[in-house]
Amino acid sequence: MKLDVNALGTFYRMAREGAGLAAGRLTSMTGVQTRVGVTKLNFMRGSEIRAEINDGREKVGVRVELSAGLEGHSIIIFDREAAREVVQTLVQDEASGEFDEMDQSAVTEVGQIMTNGFIDGWADVLGTVIDVSTPDFIEGETAEPFFGGLETAPSEDDLALLFHSRIEAVGTEIGYRHYLLPEHDSMSEILERQSDDGSDGIEYDKLVGFDELAQQGATEVANAVTTLTGIETSVDIRRLNFVSLETIPEEIADEKLVGVAFSFDGTPSGYLLFLFDEQSAREVVEATVPSPPDDEFGEMGTSAIKELGNIMASGFLDGWANVLDTTIDHSTPEYIHDMGAAVIDPVVINLGEDQEYAFVFDTQIKAEGREFDCDIYAIPNEEDLERALNDLDVDRVEDAKTTAEFPVDEAESS
Amino acid sequence: MKTYGSEPGAPTPDPVQVGISEFYVTDEDVTLKSYGLGSCLAVALYDDAVGVAGLAHAMLPDGDDNDASEENPGKFADTAIRAMLRQMVERGATYTDVEAKIAGGSDIFEFDSFGEAVGKRNVTAAREELDKLGVPVVAEEVGGQRGRTVEFDAGTGVLTINSSDEEAGGVTEL
Repeated sequence: MKLDVNALGTFYRMAREGAGLAAGRLTSMTGVQTRVGVTKLNFMRGSEIRAEINDGREKVGVRVELSAGLEGHSIIIFDREAAREVVQTLVQDEASGEFDEMDQSAVTEVGQIMTNGFIDGWADVLGTVIDVSTPDFIEGETAEPFFGGLETAPSEDDLALLFHSRIEAVGTEIGYRHYLLPEHDSMSEILERQSDDGSDGIEYDKLVGFDELAQQGATEVANAVTTLTGIETSVDIRRLNFVSLETIPEEIADEKLVGVAFSFDGTPSGYLLFLFDEQSAREVVEATVPSPPDDEFGEMGTSAIKELGNIMASGFLDGWANVLDTTIDHSTPEYIHDMGAAVIDPVVINLGEDQEYAFVFDTQIKAEGREFDCDIYAIPNEEDLERALNDLDVDRVEDAKTTAEFPVDEAESS
Repeated sequence: MKTYGSEPGAPTPDPVQVGISEFYVTDEDVTLKSYGLGSCLAVALYDDAVGVAGLAHAMLPDGDDNDASEENPGKFADTAIRAMLRQMVERGATYTDVEAKIAGGSDIFEFDSFGEAVGKRNVTAAREELDKLGVPVVAEEVGGQRGRTVEFDAGTGVLTINSSDEEAGGVTEL
């Protein structure tokens, strides 16, 4: 199965159109104005999907089976509380403890209306007809009732392509997760039909290999932070996203952020950003500077954050270069202390001159019991990434060690 | 770009969020808002006489040289301005009464790979296009190395800019 950007672009448009129609139908049903928030395609491992659902909260969902133009399953899962809100809006019902029959049927109806919206959007984009089975109402706290027994459910290490979108009602978000689990042959047929004749595309298996390596890179970064600052950190969330460039800034918190940005050059080339909220950046400065200054974002603090960024970047990119067996050089760090989206839009704009979409390696590092959050965005140049991946020897990934070490003098000399 | 799942008769949200590569035209008394402009450029157009307003959040300067502008005119400063002006006239604005305010177009990074500063190029492209169309730029807050969030009051034509640069007072009204 080969992925090319054109085909992925089609899937992306499916996700967006589908969410748009789903939102529109919710609006006409509830009279509440809705808006489609960020839309993404995620590549996620079966194990990660299950972990995401196994968060201990009660959930309700609606599952349908798809056939004809697209075969597989579509599942919408609401947190129980979110479902209750939706139901209350719909049937103006006073909250009772249990999900009674009427609530169930209301949730099923909402789920079905949203599903039909999604699927009509997909069918429009694909120019085909997709048949939908009668919906099943499912309750549970784990992935098992939702995915168990489905042939299309990804196994632990398989990457599944997920449609991720948000629908926001005025003042509140309608919290749901939407999983499309396509049947393998049906998916590869669609990908083939949608791909650009001139393009080589990326072997799906190689993407799996690369994802593995990105995971290693992220772990190296977390280790580097721990080594330098003494703050125990770990990789909290990691996603390989395929998004339209415009989506990237929209996703960033609307608050002042501290960041370190790099451009990197080689196979692939691209941009790498580390973003901290202000409090986390303060923690970094306090942990690395012997006598912390009054103004954490003054000269001393700035240079401490740049130093850390430099080490993180080396760890991350060395990991990539090792597995891809290429050389990747990165620029000197650019320090930014500015409001949300503004820190990333220059990068998006620069890539936007040549491409519409981007693969974003999106990683979050967190510390136990301490204010330390770091978002990492690695956005490779699209053509370079395709070339690098096609040259990738998947077997090497298994053996490749991210050998990056973090001598402190490396940071000081830069 | 169609981002609102709106149905006929549904109320307009307020503020209306104008995302990157989008533009929005209205004759209602609402606030149009674009968050976190870096090198992107906000172009606000307003016809005081009839109260028709539009806000664009453009990403790149030149759409005439790019096929993507047909599908997505809001992405480029020049095509966004033309598309927005056309829609405003359709809503009752008089071509010669429309005035422009622009904000954004900073250049925060200095990477070698960036070539000529795109923030500056966005500003230049917008000024040139507006000049060509005979729309005067009555106020601007552009350039520099800081991010901006803009709010455009479609009822009064006031453009409020929140800047991360606290020395500049943080808030500017144009």
